[in-house]
Amino acid sequence: MGSGAHLQGRSALLEVDDLTVEFPGIRALDSVHFDILAGEVHALVGENGAGKSTLLKVLGGVHRPSSGEVRLSGEAYHPRRPADALAAGIAVIYQEFNLYPDLTVAENVFSGREPYAKGSRGIRYAEINRRTSELFAVLGVTIDPTATVGSLTVSEQQLVEICKALSVDGRIIVMDEPTAALSADEVTQLLDVVKRLRAEGRSVIYVSHRLDEVFALADRVTVLRDGKHIRTCDIADTDPDGLVRLMVGRDVESVFHRDQVSEGTVVLELTDVNAGRRLKDISLTVRAGEVVGIGGIAGAGQPELSQVIFGALGVDSGTMTLNGEPFRPRHPGDAMARGIGFLHEDRKVAGNLPDLSIRHNLTISILDKVRTGIGRFLAPAKETDVYDGYHRRLNIKATGPDQLIGQLSGGNQQKVLLGRALAPGGRLLLLNEPTRGVDIGAKAEIHRLINILTADGAAVLMVSSDLPELLGVSDRVYVMAGGEIVGHLTGADRTEENVVACATTGRRIFSKELSKR
Amino acid sequence: MTTETIIERTGDKPAKISFGRLWDTWGVTAILILLLLCTPAIAPGFLEVENLQSVLRESAYVGIVAVGMTFAIASGAFDLSVGGQLALTSVVSLMAFSGGGTAAAIAAAIVTGLLCGLVNAGLITRLRVPPFVATLGSLFVFRGIAYLLTQDGPKTLPYSQIHSPFVKLGSLNIAGLPLPFIIMVAVFAGGWILLRRTAIGRRTLAYGSSPSAARFCGISDTRIRLFVFGLVGLTVGIAALTYITRVWTADGSAQDGFELKVIAAVVLGGTALKGGKGTLVGTFSAVFLVSVLNEVLVSRGVESAYQRIVLGCVLIVALTIDGLRTRFAGPGSFRRAITGLIPRKTTQATS
Repeated sequence: MGSGAHLQGRSALLEVDDLTVEFPGIRALDSVHFDILAGEVHALVGENGAGKSTLLKVLGGVHRPSSGEVRLSGEAYHPRRPADALAAGIAVIYQEFNLYPDLTVAENVFSGREPYAKGSRGIRYAEINRRTSELFAVLGVTIDPTATVGSLTVSEQQLVEICKALSVDGRIIVMDEPTAALSADEVTQLLDVVKRLRAEGRSVIYVSHRLDEVFALADRVTVLRDGKHIRTCDIADTDPDGLVRLMVGRDVESVFHRDQVSEGTVVLELTDVNAGRRLKDISLTVRAGEVVGIGGIAGAGQPELSQVIFGALGVDSGTMTLNGEPFRPRHPGDAMARGIGFLHEDRKVAGNLPDLSIRHNLTISILDKVRTGIGRFLAPAKETDVYDGYHRRLNIKATGPDQLIGQLSGGNQQKVLLGRALAPGGRLLLLNEPTRGVDIGAKAEIHRLINILTADGAAVLMVSSDLPELLGVSDRVYVMAGGEIVGHLTGADRTEENVVACATTGRRIFSKELSKR
Repeated sequence: MTTETIIERTGDKPAKISFGRLWDTWGVTAILILLLLCTPAIAPGFLEVENLQSVLRESAYVGIVAVGMTFAIASGAFDLSVGGQLALTSVVSLMAFSGGGTAAAIAAAIVTGLLCGLVNAGLITRLRVPPFVATLGSLFVFRGIAYLLTQDGPKTLPYSQIHSPFVKLGSLNIAGLPLPFIIMVAVFAGGWILLRRTAIGRRTLAYGSSPSAARFCGISDTRIRLFVFGLVGLTVGIAALTYITRVWTADGSAQDGFELKVIAAVVLGGTALKGGKGTLVGTFSAVFLVSVLNEVLVSRGVESAYQRIVLGCVLIVALTIDGLRTRFAGPGSFRRAITGLIPRKTTQATS
């Protein structure tokens, strides 16, 4: 099925030539070539930030290219808005669905294009319900057209999106990580649906981190890396290891390397921890003086793991110990009282206190330490001392302690939040994406800081989707997939290839524990 | 590469004092002072001692509850039930007075107010009802209970008690200042310390600024809700005491529309509706701005219907400024908010 032989001699339905997309400060796509043939499933793969989503958004009329040319059936194609793309027969299904949860399936499928009965303003429900059922029949699935979309599973909602694409007679259907949130059975069903679409003569651009799906489905595959086109080939001409090499192939010398640190005592230990549907049988250890990395593709449970340790998510079963004592925080306040610092991956939503000054953002986690006198009132002078300390130590660039945090650059905001995480004086730091959205200079400073902290004996658990950072900064790496730990990489096994293989191919790699380094 | 080459220390520049930030705290106060300066011209007789005393006394109960409401709005919530709370607390306090005298009346007012606040906090944290809806519901419930308790006529202070110390609460002047006004100043001072100098006050602002971020700072939303709504109840209890000792009577209809007056004062004062910011200085000035404005209108013989319309317009203007300042947040927001109102003309090529 995965052979490209049947594509021989077909002409391209869509061609992308020399496409460049620039955002302020970033070149998201750099002279990319890409094409798709009629009746082809074309996989698009690459690491986070490789430019896949940008390419999809250009095709979907969300982003406008800076230069380059896109042709559809030989004619120039320049969508100015998503509706233009739909009208041209290109339907993009983003990870965030565009569905109205309170409307029915059929109402969603025909939203904006409802047939009205003659002489009245009523929607012909019988007709849209019947036509929706027919479209689902083409896909080989059954979903009640009168069910409200909000009551459906994620997988069913995805099928509604696909049905919407069919209803406009989309010739090219683009799917961004369609299986990221699906169970194994649902993935199988989706793969069948994609094959049916191809049998119908439609073309599918399939973006996925999961290489097993790519090999089960695609006719051809294109690899992007750092906004550049790396290679397009027939799926038969490559193998998973080859693809991983192409996706990763980076100058490894350029990344951060930390000082070798001697191992200390076990600070944190998790044994068979289960939490809801997001974490399954997690066991891990973190020792004083080491950085333990958590890798994996987005949605594999990494942030949930750190939140469980911080007490922000409940534990169903399993045991946790902190410095050898049983540990079961019920609230982040419990974890902070035990000296654990936490950095959330989403600075805007769950980090910044936007109406508060830098000084107050720093001291919010240690208000007990900046009080004075009989009344135990907050002492502005003590708070300013805290600010002065972190201002110098983290090299925060600000006009003064009273500046609002929102007025700082992303990197400096991140340093303030790191300061807040350090303030409880913790021996254990849970850092989620510590350098996300931070410029290169601040990134180096944050890595240097992590190095200094661990040299002082702190233990760091770092979740990162940035592979060079994960491998460069961590001493050991756990890889997660589907809420489980599927890899534990130490020493020479800590390679990008191994991380990607564990995260995407379902392979499990557990390094033999080195008894002594 | 050594660390020294990475670190490039920039000298701290003193923070620029922006007009917008000054306006946030002092804008209403400036307007109040301007209005007061104009009063001799537009309302002769306003500055007479007895008239001023009356204005201060009448402002007290709105002002005291506005302190609690400033905390509620700074935490990102409304308490719509304060009118019902005031009616219920006043009725219960008057009943306690006829049974047990001054001490009982004071205790009853404080306890009833606190209980009302706890009910609201419970609805919000235990039953997960949004504050707006929970307090809208409890507004009716509290007023309903007050009506039930006064089915056979309003509760009153008997005239025979005119020399009771309790009655003095509402009528006594100390150094020419009415006692209710002094109580109100004390409540504002206590509120200022709570908001600016205690951990719970800081956490309230943090929670109002971003509830999700506050959670990861170890701030418990249950505790914030309990504190804020309990504090509102406490201020209602205190306000009820100054109210009943002034008007001597209360029933279910007491101070209809009270919640809106209080919220108007807080919002007019510059406390942002979206939470995270609270200014008691602004609230204080706004309380007086509203009552001075009312007094001026009354002395000019303006009908009470028009007084309501003026208050409504003032509130809408204040909210428009608040909305524009939020939309154009950041340095220079004030200028951009004003210029943003004026549609830009299409620039003509001039070369």
